[in-house]
Amino acid sequence: MTETTTETEEQSTGTSVGSGDTDTRTTKGESEERTRDEWREYSFSEDAILSVDDLNVYYGDDHALKDISMDIPEKSVTALIGPSGCGKSTFLRCLNRMNDRIKSARVEGTVEYNGEDVYQDGTNLVELRKRIGMVFQAPNPFPKSIRDNIAYGPRKHGDINRGFVASLLGRDDKEEEDELVEESLRKAALWDEVNDRLDDNALGLSGGQQQRLCIARCLAVNPEVILMDEPASALDPVATSKIEDLIEELAKEYTVVVVTHNMQQAARISDQTAVFLTGGELVEYDETDKIFENPESQRVEDYVTGKFG
Amino acid sequence: MPRDDYRERLDTLRGEVVSTGETVVGRLRDALVALEDKDDELARRVVEGDDEVNERYLEIEQECVDLIALQQPVAGDLRFVVASFKIVTDLERVGDLAVNLSDRATEARRDRFAEVDVQEIGAFAASMVEDAVEAYENGDIEACRGVAESDDVLDTRCEGATRRVIRELADAAHEDADGSVSDAKNLLLTVRDLERVGDHGVNIAARTLYMVEHEDELLR
Repeated sequence: MTETTTETEEQSTGTSVGSGDTDTRTTKGESEERTRDEWREYSFSEDAILSVDDLNVYYGDDHALKDISMDIPEKSVTALIGPSGCGKSTFLRCLNRMNDRIKSARVEGTVEYNGEDVYQDGTNLVELRKRIGMVFQAPNPFPKSIRDNIAYGPRKHGDINRGFVASLLGRDDKEEEDELVEESLRKAALWDEVNDRLDDNALGLSGGQQQRLCIARCLAVNPEVILMDEPASALDPVATSKIEDLIEELAKEYTVVVVTHNMQQAARISDQTAVFLTGGELVEYDETDKIFENPESQRVEDYVTGKFG
Repeated sequence: MPRDDYRERLDTLRGEVVSTGETVVGRLRDALVALEDKDDELARRVVEGDDEVNERYLEIEQECVDLIALQQPVAGDLRFVVASFKIVTDLERVGDLAVNLSDRATEARRDRFAEVDVQEIGAFAASMVEDAVEAYENGDIEACRGVAESDDVLDTRCEGATRRVIRELADAAHEDADGSVSDAKNLLLTVRDLERVGDHGVNIAARTLYMVEHEDELLR
Protein backbone atom coordinates (compact mmCIF):
# COMPACT_ATOMS: atom_id res chain seq x y z
CA MET A 1 0.00 0.00 0.00
CA THR A 2 2.83 2.35 0.87
CA GLU A 3 4.47 1.57 -2.44
CA THR A 4 1.35 2.42 -4.40
CA THR A 5 1.14 5.80 -2.71
CA THR A 6 4.75 6.63 -3.44
CA GLU A 7 4.32 5.53 -7.01
CA THR A 8 1.46 7.94 -7.54
CA GLU A 9 3.39 10.73 -5.88
CA GLU A 10 6.36 10.22 -8.15
CA GLN A 11 4.19 9.92 -11.22
CA SER A 12 2.47 13.18 -10.49
CA THR A 13 5.69 15.13 -10.04
CA GLY A 14 7.41 13.34 -12.88
CA THR A 15 5.16 14.91 -15.48
CA SER A 16 6.09 18.51 -14.83
CA VAL A 17 9.77 17.95 -15.43
CA GLY A 18 11.85 19.24 -18.30
CA SER A 19 14.66 17.26 -19.85
CA GLY A 20 17.62 16.45 -17.67
CA ASP A 21 19.55 14.19 -19.95
CA THR A 22 23.02 15.32 -18.99
CA ASP A 23 24.64 15.32 -15.61
CA THR A 24 24.46 19.00 -15.06
CA ARG A 25 25.89 20.64 -12.02
CA THR A 26 25.52 24.31 -11.57
CA THR A 27 28.27 25.97 -9.64
CA LYS A 28 27.65 29.33 -8.08
CA GLY A 29 27.49 31.90 -10.78
CA GLU A 30 28.34 29.65 -13.70
CA SER A 31 27.07 26.41 -15.07
CA GLU A 32 29.17 23.50 -15.94
CA GLU A 33 28.43 20.14 -17.42
CA ARG A 34 29.99 17.13 -15.90
CA THR A 35 30.84 14.15 -18.05
CA ARG A 36 30.16 10.68 -16.78
CA ASP A 37 33.87 10.10 -16.19
CA GLU A 38 34.07 13.16 -14.04
CA TRP A 39 31.12 11.93 -12.04
CA ARG A 40 33.01 8.71 -11.48
CA GLU A 41 36.00 10.59 -10.16
CA TYR A 42 33.64 12.51 -7.98
CA SER A 43 32.20 9.31 -6.59
CA PHE A 44 33.83 6.94 -4.20
CA SER A 45 34.52 4.15 -6.65
CA GLU A 46 37.54 2.54 -4.99
CA ASP A 47 35.69 0.81 -2.20
CA ALA A 48 32.29 0.73 -3.88
CA ILE A 49 30.04 -2.14 -2.94
CA LEU A 50 27.21 -0.79 -5.10
CA SER A 51 27.93 0.88 -8.37
CA VAL A 52 25.05 2.46 -10.24
CA ASP A 53 25.58 3.48 -13.83
CA ASP A 54 23.27 5.46 -16.05
CA LEU A 55 20.17 4.40 -14.19
CA ASN A 56 16.84 5.52 -15.63
CA VAL A 57 13.50 4.58 -14.15
CA TYR A 58 10.12 5.16 -15.75
CA TYR A 59 6.68 4.72 -14.25
CA GLY A 60 4.67 4.34 -17.42
CA ASP A 61 5.51 7.50 -19.36
CA ASP A 62 6.91 9.35 -16.40
CA HIS A 63 10.67 9.58 -16.18
CA ALA A 64 11.24 9.19 -12.43
CA LEU A 65 15.04 8.90 -12.33
CA LYS A 66 17.36 10.38 -14.93
CA ASP A 67 20.84 9.10 -15.75
CA ILE A 68 21.86 8.39 -12.21
CA SER A 69 25.44 7.25 -11.76
CA MET A 70 26.90 6.88 -8.32
CA ASP A 71 29.07 4.55 -6.30
CA ILE A 72 28.22 3.62 -2.76
CA PRO A 73 31.25 2.79 -0.62
CA GLU A 74 31.09 -0.20 1.69
CA LYS A 75 30.82 -0.02 5.46
CA SER A 76 29.62 3.55 5.57
CA VAL A 77 26.37 5.47 5.75
CA THR A 78 25.11 7.04 2.54
CA ALA A 79 22.16 9.40 2.91
CA LEU A 80 19.76 10.19 0.08
CA ILE A 81 17.97 13.49 0.53
CA GLY A 82 15.66 15.62 -1.57
CA PRO A 83 12.12 16.93 -1.74
CA SER A 84 9.10 14.63 -2.07
CA GLY A 85 8.85 13.06 -5.46
CA CYS A 86 12.52 13.55 -6.35
CA GLY A 87 13.03 9.83 -6.82
CA LYS A 88 15.19 9.05 -3.81
CA SER A 89 12.97 6.18 -2.61
CA THR A 90 12.73 4.90 -6.15
CA PHE A 91 16.50 4.90 -6.31
CA LEU A 92 16.75 3.05 -2.99
CA ARG A 93 14.32 0.41 -4.17
CA CYS A 94 16.30 -0.16 -7.36
CA LEU A 95 19.27 -1.30 -5.31
CA ASN A 96 17.60 -4.59 -4.36
CA ARG A 97 15.00 -4.61 -7.13
CA MET A 98 12.03 -3.83 -4.94
CA ASN A 99 10.68 -1.86 -7.89
CA ASP A 100 10.07 -5.16 -9.67
CA ARG A 101 6.90 -5.33 -7.63
CA ILE A 102 5.52 -2.22 -9.31
CA LYS A 103 4.07 -3.28 -12.64
CA SER A 104 4.38 0.04 -14.44
CA ALA A 105 8.03 0.54 -13.42
CA ARG A 106 10.71 0.15 -16.09
CA VAL A 107 14.39 0.26 -15.19
CA GLU A 108 17.30 0.94 -17.55
CA GLY A 109 21.00 1.05 -16.77
CA THR A 110 23.02 -1.07 -14.39
CA VAL A 111 23.17 -1.53 -10.65
CA GLU A 112 26.25 -3.51 -9.81
CA TYR A 113 26.45 -5.19 -6.44
CA ASN A 114 29.95 -6.53 -5.83
CA GLY A 115 30.58 -6.25 -9.54
CA GLU A 116 27.45 -8.16 -10.66
CA ASP A 117 24.55 -6.38 -12.31
CA VAL A 118 21.51 -7.07 -10.16
CA TYR A 119 19.26 -6.46 -13.17
CA GLN A 120 20.85 -9.15 -15.31
CA ASP A 121 18.76 -12.22 -16.15
CA GLY A 122 19.01 -15.02 -13.67
CA THR A 123 19.57 -12.90 -10.59
CA ASN A 124 18.28 -14.80 -7.57
CA LEU A 125 15.99 -12.21 -6.01
CA VAL A 126 15.61 -14.04 -2.72
CA GLU A 127 19.36 -14.21 -2.33
CA LEU A 128 19.75 -10.57 -3.46
CA ARG A 129 17.27 -9.30 -0.89
CA LYS A 130 18.91 -11.41 1.78
CA ARG A 131 22.22 -9.71 1.05
CA ILE A 132 20.64 -6.28 0.55
CA GLY A 133 18.01 -6.02 3.26
CA MET A 134 15.46 -3.31 3.75
CA VAL A 135 13.88 -1.45 6.65
CA PHE A 136 10.76 0.61 6.02
CA GLN A 137 9.31 3.84 7.34
CA ALA A 138 6.65 2.30 9.56
CA PRO A 139 7.81 -0.55 11.78
CA ASN A 140 6.22 -3.70 10.38
CA PRO A 141 6.93 -6.62 12.71
CA PHE A 142 5.06 -9.86 12.14
CA PRO A 143 2.24 -10.44 14.64
CA LYS A 144 4.37 -13.13 16.24
CA SER A 145 6.73 -13.40 19.18
CA ILE A 146 9.94 -11.38 19.27
CA ARG A 147 11.91 -14.60 18.83
CA ASP A 148 9.81 -15.71 15.86
CA ASN A 149 10.24 -12.35 14.17
CA ILE A 150 14.03 -12.73 14.27
CA ALA A 151 14.11 -16.43 13.42
CA TYR A 152 11.51 -16.21 10.67
CA GLY A 153 13.96 -15.46 7.85
CA PRO A 154 16.66 -17.98 8.80
CA ARG A 155 13.97 -20.69 9.27
CA LYS A 156 12.43 -19.88 5.89
CA HIS A 157 15.80 -19.96 4.20
CA GLY A 158 16.55 -23.27 5.89
CA ASP A 159 19.54 -21.89 7.75
CA ILE A 160 17.90 -22.97 10.99
CA ASN A 161 15.75 -26.07 11.47
CA ARG A 162 13.13 -26.06 14.17
CA GLY A 163 9.93 -27.86 15.02
CA PHE A 164 8.60 -31.33 15.49
CA VAL A 165 10.08 -32.90 12.36
CA ALA A 166 13.48 -31.37 12.96
CA SER A 167 13.55 -32.69 16.51
CA LEU A 168 12.49 -36.17 15.33
CA LEU A 169 15.38 -36.11 12.89
CA GLY A 170 17.67 -34.97 15.69
CA ARG A 171 18.42 -31.73 13.85
CA ASP A 172 16.74 -29.21 16.09
CA ASP A 173 18.88 -26.05 15.96
CA LYS A 174 17.50 -24.56 19.20
CA GLU A 175 20.93 -23.45 20.39
CA GLU A 176 21.88 -21.91 17.05
CA GLU A 177 18.58 -20.09 17.01
CA ASP A 178 19.06 -18.79 20.54
CA GLU A 179 22.48 -17.50 19.59
CA LEU A 180 21.22 -15.90 16.40
CA VAL A 181 18.30 -14.22 18.18
CA GLU A 182 20.59 -12.84 20.86
CA GLU A 183 23.25 -11.70 18.41
CA SER A 184 20.74 -9.99 16.13
CA LEU A 185 18.98 -8.27 19.01
CA ARG A 186 22.29 -7.16 20.48
CA LYS A 187 23.43 -5.71 17.17
CA ALA A 188 20.14 -3.86 16.93
CA ALA A 189 20.62 -2.50 20.48
CA LEU A 190 17.41 -4.14 21.65
CA TRP A 191 18.63 -7.17 23.61
CA ASP A 192 18.82 -5.47 27.00
CA GLU A 193 15.25 -4.25 26.69
CA VAL A 194 13.59 -7.50 25.60
CA ASN A 195 15.75 -10.45 26.68
CA ASP A 196 13.31 -11.39 29.44
CA ARG A 197 10.30 -11.50 27.14
CA LEU A 198 11.40 -13.04 23.87
CA ASP A 199 8.19 -15.02 23.61
CA ASP A 200 5.95 -11.98 23.99
CA ASN A 201 4.16 -10.68 20.94
CA ALA A 202 6.26 -8.13 19.06
CA LEU A 203 3.27 -5.86 18.60
CA GLY A 204 3.43 -5.14 22.34
CA LEU A 205 6.73 -3.29 21.88
CA SER A 206 6.93 0.49 21.53
CA GLY A 207 7.29 1.97 18.03
CA GLY A 208 11.01 2.55 18.46
CA GLN A 209 11.52 -0.97 19.77
CA GLN A 210 9.49 -2.38 16.90
CA GLN A 211 11.69 -0.55 14.42
CA ARG A 212 14.84 -1.89 16.06
CA LEU A 213 13.25 -5.33 15.98
CA CYS A 214 12.75 -4.92 12.23
CA ILE A 215 16.42 -4.00 11.94
CA ALA A 216 17.34 -7.08 14.01
CA ARG A 217 15.13 -9.20 11.75
CA CYS A 218 16.96 -7.81 8.75
CA LEU A 219 20.34 -8.56 10.35
CA ALA A 220 19.35 -12.16 11.16
CA VAL A 221 19.65 -13.24 7.52
CA ASN A 222 23.21 -11.89 7.42
CA PRO A 223 22.99 -9.02 4.93
CA GLU A 224 25.86 -6.96 3.64
CA VAL A 225 23.85 -3.87 2.76
CA ILE A 226 20.90 -2.41 4.67
CA LEU A 227 18.55 -0.05 2.87
CA MET A 228 16.44 2.17 5.08
CA ASP A 229 13.53 4.24 3.86
CA GLU A 230 12.88 6.98 6.42
CA PRO A 231 13.51 4.59 9.29
CA ALA A 232 12.90 7.14 12.04
CA SER A 233 10.24 9.42 10.63
CA ALA A 234 7.45 7.71 12.58
CA LEU A 235 9.35 7.78 15.87
CA ASP A 236 9.67 10.20 18.77
CA PRO A 237 12.99 12.04 19.35
CA VAL A 238 14.37 9.54 21.87
CA ALA A 239 13.55 6.54 19.69
CA THR A 240 14.96 8.48 16.74
CA SER A 241 18.28 9.06 18.52
CA LYS A 242 18.50 5.36 19.28
CA ILE A 243 17.98 4.50 15.62
CA GLU A 244 20.56 7.11 14.61
CA ASP A 245 23.11 5.73 17.08
CA LEU A 246 22.35 2.27 15.80
CA ILE A 247 22.87 3.28 12.17
CA GLU A 248 26.32 4.64 12.98
CA GLU A 249 27.15 1.46 14.87
CA LEU A 250 25.90 -0.77 12.05
CA ALA A 251 28.10 1.03 9.53
CA LYS A 252 31.16 -0.52 11.15
CA GLU A 253 30.04 -3.87 9.80
CA TYR A 254 27.43 -3.14 7.15
CA THR A 255 26.82 -0.72 4.32
CA VAL A 256 23.85 1.49 5.15
CA VAL A 257 21.92 3.50 2.58
CA VAL A 258 19.26 5.68 4.15
CA VAL A 259 16.55 7.86 2.67
CA THR A 260 15.54 10.70 4.95
CA HIS A 261 13.45 13.85 4.80
CA ASN A 262 15.24 15.12 7.85
CA MET A 263 18.30 16.95 6.60
CA GLN A 264 19.77 17.35 10.06
CA GLN A 265 19.50 13.61 10.45
CA ALA A 266 21.38 13.08 7.20
CA ALA A 267 24.00 15.54 8.41
CA ARG A 268 24.36 13.78 11.75
CA ILE A 269 24.58 10.19 10.66
CA SER A 270 25.92 9.93 7.13
CA ASP A 271 29.40 9.82 5.66
CA GLN A 272 28.28 10.87 2.21
CA THR A 273 25.12 12.50 1.00
CA ALA A 274 23.40 12.39 -2.37
CA VAL A 275 21.00 15.22 -3.13
CA PHE A 276 18.19 14.38 -5.53
CA LEU A 277 16.09 17.27 -6.73
CA THR A 278 12.70 17.44 -8.37
CA GLY A 279 12.75 15.80 -11.75
CA GLY A 280 14.66 12.71 -10.67
CA GLU A 281 18.11 14.21 -11.02
CA LEU A 282 21.07 13.48 -8.80
CA VAL A 283 22.35 17.02 -8.46
CA GLU A 284 25.23 16.56 -6.06
CA TYR A 285 26.89 13.66 -4.31
CA ASP A 286 29.79 14.23 -1.96
CA GLU A 287 31.14 13.87 1.56
CA THR A 288 28.39 14.93 3.94
CA ASP A 289 30.34 17.81 5.48
CA LYS A 290 30.95 19.25 2.02
CA ILE A 291 27.24 19.11 1.18
CA PHE A 292 26.25 20.89 4.39
CA GLU A 293 29.14 23.34 4.62
CA ASN A 294 29.93 24.24 1.05
CA PRO A 295 27.90 22.55 -1.65
CA GLU A 296 29.02 23.10 -5.24
CA SER A 297 25.57 23.50 -6.69
CA GLN A 298 23.49 26.61 -6.06
CA ARG A 299 20.35 24.44 -6.27
CA VAL A 300 21.69 22.22 -3.49
CA GLU A 301 22.66 25.28 -1.43
CA ASP A 302 19.13 26.62 -1.83
CA TYR A 303 17.63 23.27 -0.90
CA VAL A 304 19.69 22.57 2.21
CA THR A 305 19.35 26.13 3.51
CA GLY A 306 15.59 25.89 3.05
CA LYS A 307 15.29 28.56 0.38
CA PHE A 308 13.00 26.22 -1.52
CA GLY A 309 11.59 22.74 -1.14
CA MET B 1 10.65 32.14 -0.08
CA PRO B 2 10.20 29.77 2.88
CA ARG B 3 11.70 30.54 6.29
CA ASP B 4 11.12 34.28 6.00
CA ASP B 5 11.64 34.94 9.71
CA TYR B 6 14.90 33.05 9.64
CA ARG B 7 16.19 34.97 6.62
CA GLU B 8 15.18 38.20 8.33
CA ARG B 9 17.14 37.22 11.42
CA LEU B 10 20.21 36.56 9.29
CA ASP B 11 19.86 40.00 7.69
CA THR B 12 19.44 41.60 11.10
CA LEU B 13 22.54 39.81 12.35
CA ARG B 14 24.55 41.16 9.43
CA GLY B 15 23.28 44.67 10.17
CA GLU B 16 24.15 44.39 13.86
CA VAL B 17 27.69 43.23 13.15
CA VAL B 18 28.21 46.01 10.61
CA SER B 19 26.89 48.66 12.96
CA THR B 20 29.08 47.36 15.79
CA GLY B 21 31.99 47.58 13.35
CA GLU B 22 31.13 51.18 12.55
CA THR B 23 30.89 51.99 16.24
CA VAL B 24 34.31 50.57 17.15
CA VAL B 25 35.98 52.22 14.18
CA GLY B 26 34.42 55.48 15.35
CA ARG B 27 35.71 54.87 18.89
CA LEU B 28 39.17 54.16 17.53
CA ARG B 29 39.17 57.41 15.59
CA ASP B 30 37.94 59.29 18.67
CA ALA B 31 40.78 57.75 20.67
CA LEU B 32 43.29 58.95 18.07
CA VAL B 33 41.85 62.44 18.24
CA ALA B 34 41.99 62.33 22.06
CA LEU B 35 45.60 61.23 21.79
CA GLU B 36 46.48 64.03 19.40
CA ASP B 37 44.63 66.79 21.25
CA LYS B 38 45.23 65.42 24.76
CA ASP B 39 41.48 65.65 25.11
CA ASP B 40 40.63 64.12 28.49
CA GLU B 41 36.92 64.45 27.99
CA LEU B 42 36.87 62.64 24.64
CA ALA B 43 39.19 59.94 26.03
CA ARG B 44 36.80 59.40 28.93
CA ARG B 45 33.86 59.02 26.56
CA VAL B 46 35.70 56.35 24.58
CA VAL B 47 36.49 54.43 27.78
CA GLU B 48 32.92 54.67 29.04
CA GLY B 49 31.47 53.74 25.66
CA ASP B 50 33.22 50.40 25.78
CA ASP B 51 30.52 48.92 28.04
CA GLU B 52 28.00 49.44 25.28
CA VAL B 53 30.29 47.73 22.76
CA ASN B 54 30.74 44.78 25.12
CA GLU B 55 27.02 44.49 25.59
CA ARG B 56 26.33 44.47 21.87
CA TYR B 57 29.10 41.93 21.40
CA LEU B 58 27.43 39.59 23.91
CA GLU B 59 24.01 40.10 22.31
CA ILE B 60 25.32 39.27 18.86
CA GLU B 61 27.14 36.23 20.20
CA GLN B 62 23.91 35.05 21.84
CA GLU B 63 21.98 35.58 18.61
CA CYS B 64 24.54 33.41 16.76
CA VAL B 65 24.16 30.68 19.39
CA ASP B 66 20.36 30.90 19.14
CA LEU B 67 20.44 30.68 15.37
CA ILE B 68 22.69 27.63 15.47
CA ALA B 69 20.65 25.92 18.17
CA LEU B 70 17.19 26.76 16.89
CA GLN B 71 17.48 27.19 13.14
CA GLN B 72 20.35 24.82 12.35
CA PRO B 73 21.86 26.89 9.55
CA VAL B 74 23.87 24.93 6.98
CA ALA B 75 26.07 25.64 3.98
CA GLY B 76 26.43 29.38 3.20
CA ASP B 77 24.14 30.33 6.08
CA LEU B 78 26.25 28.35 8.53
CA ARG B 79 29.47 29.93 7.29
CA PHE B 80 27.85 33.35 7.63
CA VAL B 81 26.77 32.75 11.23
CA VAL B 82 30.12 31.23 12.21
CA ALA B 83 32.01 34.07 10.54
CA SER B 84 29.83 36.67 12.27
CA PHE B 85 30.45 34.95 15.60
CA LYS B 86 34.21 35.23 15.13
CA ILE B 87 34.18 38.70 13.58
CA VAL B 88 32.25 40.26 16.43
CA THR B 89 34.98 39.05 18.80
CA ASP B 90 37.58 40.85 16.72
CA LEU B 91 35.46 43.99 16.77
CA GLU B 92 35.15 43.83 20.53
CA ARG B 93 38.97 43.61 20.76
CA VAL B 94 39.35 46.64 18.53
CA GLY B 95 37.07 48.44 20.98
CA ASP B 96 39.37 47.39 23.84
CA LEU B 97 42.39 48.69 21.96
CA ALA B 98 40.65 52.04 21.47
CA VAL B 99 40.24 52.12 25.25
CA ASN B 100 43.96 51.42 25.68
CA LEU B 101 44.76 54.33 23.41
CA SER B 102 42.43 56.63 25.32
CA ASP B 103 44.00 55.61 28.62
CA ARG B 104 47.33 56.86 27.33
CA ALA B 105 45.93 60.00 25.72
CA THR B 106 46.84 62.39 28.47
CA GLU B 107 49.98 60.69 29.72
CA ALA B 108 52.22 61.29 26.73
CA ARG B 109 53.64 64.73 26.08
CA ARG B 110 53.84 64.03 22.36
CA ASP B 111 56.36 66.71 21.60
CA ARG B 112 59.12 64.21 22.05
CA PHE B 113 59.59 61.68 19.21
CA ALA B 114 57.88 64.04 16.81
CA GLU B 115 59.08 61.99 13.87
CA VAL B 116 56.77 59.14 14.78
CA ASP B 117 53.41 59.75 13.18
CA VAL B 118 50.99 57.79 15.35
CA GLN B 119 48.05 59.52 13.70
CA GLU B 120 49.00 58.30 10.28
CA ILE B 121 49.51 54.74 11.54
CA GLY B 122 46.24 54.92 13.46
CA ALA B 123 44.28 56.20 10.48
CA PHE B 124 45.69 53.40 8.36
CA ALA B 125 44.78 50.72 10.94
CA ALA B 126 41.28 52.14 11.39
CA SER B 127 40.64 52.13 7.68
CA MET B 128 41.72 48.48 7.49
CA VAL B 129 39.03 47.56 10.00
CA GLU B 130 36.54 49.78 8.19
CA ASP B 131 37.35 48.12 4.86
CA ALA B 132 37.11 44.65 6.41
CA VAL B 133 33.67 45.38 7.86
CA GLU B 134 32.55 46.73 4.51
CA ALA B 135 33.88 43.60 2.79
CA TYR B 136 31.87 41.51 5.26
CA GLU B 137 28.75 43.53 4.58
CA ASN B 138 29.08 43.10 0.82
CA GLY B 139 30.68 39.64 0.75
CA ASP B 140 33.52 41.21 -1.24
CA ILE B 141 36.41 38.76 -1.46
CA GLU B 142 38.71 41.10 -3.39
CA ALA B 143 38.40 43.64 -0.59
CA CYS B 144 39.26 40.85 1.90
CA ARG B 145 42.51 40.16 0.08
CA GLY B 146 43.17 43.90 -0.08
CA VAL B 147 42.90 44.19 3.70
CA ALA B 148 45.26 41.25 4.15
CA GLU B 149 47.79 42.90 1.84
CA SER B 150 47.53 46.24 3.66
CA ASP B 151 48.69 44.52 6.80
CA ASP B 152 52.24 44.23 5.44
CA VAL B 153 52.31 48.00 4.96
CA LEU B 154 51.01 48.59 8.48
CA ASP B 155 53.51 46.15 9.98
CA THR B 156 56.38 47.90 8.19
CA ARG B 157 55.28 51.29 9.44
CA CYS B 158 54.88 50.05 12.99
CA GLU B 159 58.26 48.39 12.88
CA GLY B 160 59.82 51.61 11.52
CA ALA B 161 58.16 53.70 14.22
CA THR B 162 59.36 51.36 16.95
CA ARG B 163 62.93 51.47 15.71
CA ARG B 164 62.90 55.25 15.51
CA VAL B 165 61.71 55.61 19.07
CA ILE B 166 64.31 53.23 20.40
CA ARG B 167 67.11 54.83 18.38
CA GLU B 168 66.22 58.32 19.55
CA LEU B 169 65.97 57.10 23.08
CA ALA B 170 69.45 55.57 22.84
CA ASP B 171 71.04 58.49 20.98
CA ALA B 172 69.73 61.51 22.73
CA ALA B 173 71.11 62.70 26.00
CA HIS B 174 67.84 64.19 27.05
CA GLU B 175 67.67 66.43 30.03
CA ASP B 176 64.45 64.73 31.02
CA ALA B 177 65.52 61.07 30.74
CA ASP B 178 62.71 59.70 32.90
CA GLY B 179 60.07 61.54 30.89
CA SER B 180 61.55 60.25 27.65
CA VAL B 181 61.43 56.67 28.84
CA SER B 182 57.84 57.09 29.92
CA ASP B 183 56.83 58.71 26.64
CA ALA B 184 58.72 56.09 24.70
CA LYS B 185 56.95 53.33 26.58
CA ASN B 186 53.54 54.84 25.85
CA LEU B 187 54.37 55.41 22.24
CA LEU B 188 55.64 51.87 21.76
CA LEU B 189 52.55 50.41 23.39
CA THR B 190 50.35 52.59 21.22
CA VAL B 191 52.13 51.52 18.08
CA ARG B 192 51.80 47.90 19.15
CA ASP B 193 48.08 48.37 19.82
CA LEU B 194 47.57 49.90 16.41
CA GLU B 195 49.42 47.04 14.83
CA ARG B 196 46.99 44.73 16.59
CA VAL B 197 44.05 46.73 15.30
CA GLY B 198 45.33 45.90 11.84
CA ASP B 199 45.59 42.22 12.78
CA HIS B 200 41.95 42.21 13.83
CA GLY B 201 41.08 43.85 10.52
CA VAL B 202 42.85 40.98 8.77
CA ASN B 203 41.00 38.44 10.93
CA ILE B 204 37.68 40.00 9.92
CA ALA B 205 38.68 39.88 6.28
CA ALA B 206 39.85 36.27 6.64
CA ARG B 207 36.56 35.18 8.20
CA THR B 208 34.66 37.02 5.52
CA LEU B 209 36.61 35.23 2.81
CA TYR B 210 35.76 31.93 4.52
CA MET B 211 32.13 32.98 4.71
CA VAL B 212 31.89 33.79 1.02
CA GLU B 213 34.18 31.22 -0.54
CA HIS B 214 34.78 28.53 2.09
CA GLU B 215 38.40 29.49 1.57
CA ASP B 216 40.79 29.51 4.54
CA GLU B 217 43.85 30.99 2.80
CA LEU B 218 43.87 34.11 4.97
CA LEU B 219 43.29 32.17 8.18
CA ARG B 220 46.61 30.37 7.93
